[in-house]
Amino acid sequence: MIPNTDDALRMLSQRLMTQLLPDLRSTYSLSDGALIGLLMNAIADETAEGINRRLEDLKEMRQIFDSATSLLNDEQKADIANTVESYRLADVNKLHDAYTRVLIDVHGRCESDENMQTLNNQIWAYLQRHAERHTIRGMP
Amino acid sequence: MITLDQVQSASATFLQEKWGDGVEVTNIEKIFGGASRETYRLSLLVDGEKRGVILRRDPPSSLIDTERELEFGAYARIYPTDIPVPEPLFLVNDKKYLEQPFSVMGAIDNCQTDVSLLSVQQKDKLGTQKYTLLGKLAAKNPLDLRFDELLPVPDLNRCAIEQLTYWQGVINDDEIHPQPIAQAAIRWLHKNLPAAAQKLAIVHGDYRTGNFLFNDEAEITAVLDWEMCHLGDPLEDLAWSLDPLWSWEEPHLAGRLIPVEKAIELWKESSGLECAPQNLHWWRVFVALKAIAIWISSSENFEKGESKDSILAMAGWVMTDRQSRILLGYLVPKEAIV
Repeated sequence: MIPNTDDALRMLSQRLMTQLLPDLRSTYSLSDGALIGLLMNAIADETAEGINRRLEDLKEMRQIFDSATSLLNDEQKADIANTVESYRLADVNKLHDAYTRVLIDVHGRCESDENMQTLNNQIWAYLQRHAERHTIRGMP
Repeated sequence: MITLDQVQSASATFLQEKWGDGVEVTNIEKIFGGASRETYRLSLLVDGEKRGVILRRDPPSSLIDTERELEFGAYARIYPTDIPVPEPLFLVNDKKYLEQPFSVMGAIDNCQTDVSLLSVQQKDKLGTQKYTLLGKLAAKNPLDLRFDELLPVPDLNRCAIEQLTYWQGVINDDEIHPQPIAQAAIRWLHKNLPAAAQKLAIVHGDYRTGNFLFNDEAEITAVLDWEMCHLGDPLEDLAWSLDPLWSWEEPHLAGRLIPVEKAIELWKESSGLECAPQNLHWWRVFVALKAIAIWISSSENFEKGESKDSILAMAGWVMTDRQSRILLGYLVPKEAIV
């Protein structure tokens, strides 16, 4: 077992870029390999933090929905009543997508309503934190 | 998957059919970065004379679903003008040579696209040319150049909505995950449509640093990648060229070359056109959304396995992330900034 998969990916990326790529003759393969190495680093970070980032998103979106219950229809209420079936990426993504669809609908309905600007601002604040949380570091 | 040797051999056969038995392909090199087409540089001997050509082959998948006829047709129409482009030579739809359609253009020697190592003076020289050329392109009458035979001609008051509708459709069709920031941008763009275009213009569609070649004297020798060319509002190209994505570390610069304000002034002077700030702002939000649509499409292609090109993965992931943050910068109300 490799206990720290993210570190392993980073080390493999480093080996690819510093030891294998310099031996390539084709500039195309060299550029392609360097990009793959950079992406491996980003994937390492996602491996370590990706699930947690999505769980933080879900927690924040749930808080927004608590302020917007009057805007939700029955289907949406059922969607946001679901919780993660497992911590497999596919299951977490499925729930994240369902929550995000509800968020988009709520955002569209509250942004033009003067009486719902607090909720609108709450959603924009979430979107900024979401973007910051998912920022991909270390890319040129 | 076709090998480099196969491309060399098949292109030699094709060029001998066109130019005679005196054609020899002496070297071939695949060029990295052309995500919409596989791009090869071929060194030739034609009756003993050295010559270079660029061959662009359709891949099974690309970043942009474009027609090769459009790109080639745009090159053919622009080539005789004062906008420098490579010489268009052949457009080949027959798959018997390379399993996919391809085009051949004259190569431009001793040139580069990377501006990162240039001096401030060289960047200023390049930036001045870049925006003067873009102004000249905006000033041209597309009908004089027969672009109406190649592309739909939009009404001036529908340029914005037609582009928005098209790229909104791409996002909705291709998104793998719902995109709350892009959807907020779509709603904003619909609610704030700009004034009608002041003229009908040839819109390059991807006019940015990296899509032109320049020589050692920092002179632009060719504007490339016309595959997203269309007719529309001239402000669209200006806005695309100014997108912060192309100058990520130095957002005050237009395409890492000259200050944004100077770029706009050069464009206005060269084109003779106006640049109303509110209209340009709409187009800047729009181009960020259009870029997201392109990156989402590339994600879809990568995810579906239509292409495993690393640049598609890069575009679909890193670029979507950055472009979403650019949109947030345009759209977040002041009172909601965290």
